[in-house]
Amino acid sequence: MHFGFQSVTEEERREKIYQVFESVAKKYDVMNDSMTLGIHRVWKDILVHKMNPCPGTLLLDVAGGTGDIAFRFINYVRSVRQRQLQRKLKHHQNLSWQEIFENYQKDKFNSLGNSQVVVCDINREMLKVGKQKAQHLGYSEGLSWVLGNAEELPFDDDMFDVYTIAFGIRNVTRIDLALQEAYRVLKPGGRFLCLEFSHVSNPLLSRLYDLYSFQVIPVLGEVIAGDWKSYQYLVESIRRFPPQEELKAMIEDAGFFKVDYENLNFGIVAIHSGFKL
Amino acid sequence: MAAAGGLRRGRLWRGARVRCQHCPPLRALQASTVLRRVSDEHKKEPFTSSSQQHFDSPPAGHQPEQEPQGPRPSYTGQGGQESEDYESEEQLQHRILTAALEFVPEHGWTAEAIAEGAKTLGLSVAAAGMFHSDGSELILHFVSECNAKLSKQLEKEQKLVQLGEAEKKPIDEFLRDAVEARLRMLIPYIEKWPQALSILLLPRNIPSGLTLLTSMIDDIWHYAGDQSTDFNWYTRRAVLTGIYNTTELVMMQDSSPDFEDTWRFLENRVADAMTMSNTASQVQSTGEAVVQGLMGAAVTIKNLAGLNQRR
Repeated sequence: MHFGFQSVTEEERREKIYQVFESVAKKYDVMNDSMTLGIHRVWKDILVHKMNPCPGTLLLDVAGGTGDIAFRFINYVRSVRQRQLQRKLKHHQNLSWQEIFENYQKDKFNSLGNSQVVVCDINREMLKVGKQKAQHLGYSEGLSWVLGNAEELPFDDDMFDVYTIAFGIRNVTRIDLALQEAYRVLKPGGRFLCLEFSHVSNPLLSRLYDLYSFQVIPVLGEVIAGDWKSYQYLVESIRRFPPQEELKAMIEDAGFFKVDYENLNFGIVAIHSGFKL
Repeated sequence: MAAAGGLRRGRLWRGARVRCQHCPPLRALQASTVLRRVSDEHKKEPFTSSSQQHFDSPPAGHQPEQEPQGPRPSYTGQGGQESEDYESEEQLQHRILTAALEFVPEHGWTAEAIAEGAKTLGLSVAAAGMFHSDGSELILHFVSECNAKLSKQLEKEQKLVQLGEAEKKPIDEFLRDAVEARLRMLIPYIEKWPQALSILLLPRNIPSGLTLLTSMIDDIWHYAGDQSTDFNWYTRRAVLTGIYNTTELVMMQDSSPDFEDTWRFLENRVADAMTMSNTASQVQSTGEAVVQGLMGAAVTIKNLAGLNQRR
């Protein structure tokens, strides 16, 4: 097992990663913004766009402690739902006041059309930050927080429509187990989506990217979060993570179909997608 | 890791295990077949539309562990021939799209309709993500279904004619009936059909849309008994394509009962085409005579002028 560029046992790795995220939890969002110049928001938006969830979708967001994907999902579903209702209202134009009232009532109680998002994270601190953020931003409906390990999810089989893991699978010790768990909890027809740092193939860009990651990010970490080591680990773990094709093969091995990936920003980040059929 | 993957797969592909021993490239197999939970699938699946039954596996009855003989049948759009345990990815997609057609009048040619279709098959709504979100695959699926239906119908008619049970239709009547039969398939979706046409006209979708259109026109001419290999081959297809497309446009604007106006328009266009071809052949023969006359005149003038070398 490796922890960044060091070799450690599985147990040690789990513990160390736990400590990393425990220490960065409070500064996690600020650091994400400063390290990626805010581009991580665009990546997450693209992920949710690709998911294109319709009202009624049950989402499991693993390693989503600070709720970035969950909030985006809720916004997206809410707007889709609103558009649907508007279309419906336009369709029968002559509604009685009673009907309009009923429609609005339904709308109020059910602005997500029974969609639910479950955020699952192994790290208590990250979940705490996420919950605070949700309270602050006023998200409550259709949102729940669960402490759990991606390698053994505390959920029944065939429960969710979509499984997302954004910038999380890299930190899972046994990726194959996590993928199998993803397969297990998804309904037939359900979709697996993974947003993760990947490998840049262009040699010139790759040189620049390396320079930035190894010379700038740890410094930023020290300056903003007061924590050089965690960000050193972060960069190293990105290099140790399997490249696009290898991860694709692993996802296929877990039983998923129609697996493909999309590179964003020349492969700095990739979105892998697969279906359980 | 590989071993773990293999083990896991062994568990997942309960039914497929027999076959796996015979085909070493596991991933290839995995990519092309899906283990079907036959028993509960059949219970779950409501037979919502008659066209859907068409794609279902044969009724349970033969042994599920049965090993298929020979190479796997290629993708023909029908799940019937395969051993019921397996279904290729494409066939499943096919079934989803077929089920989705039912929801087109309500939701349009959208991902929502596909999601609803997936739901009726007991699949997650997220399965709609397999298809492009503009709904083009749903439309192309519908078009190719209709084309298949049409050519089956034409084939049946042709057989009846060959058996002498029906009289052979004159060419104009045949063309009119074929185009009308094809256009009538749009009626359930007529409200949403303009949307479909606009999506088909996106640059990305033009090649596949055009292929389907030309193959349909080809089919009609084939059953009409066209065996030309000369330049006529092109003109005939161009003319019929024109008739089909303009009639389709008329149909979308038509509010007469049972689209009477559309069929009248169609009849007139076919008649026009027929007179046009008659005129064309007349013109051609007149032209030939004129050319011959001119050639003869030229030779005579040449001789008179003493320009003819062979004296």
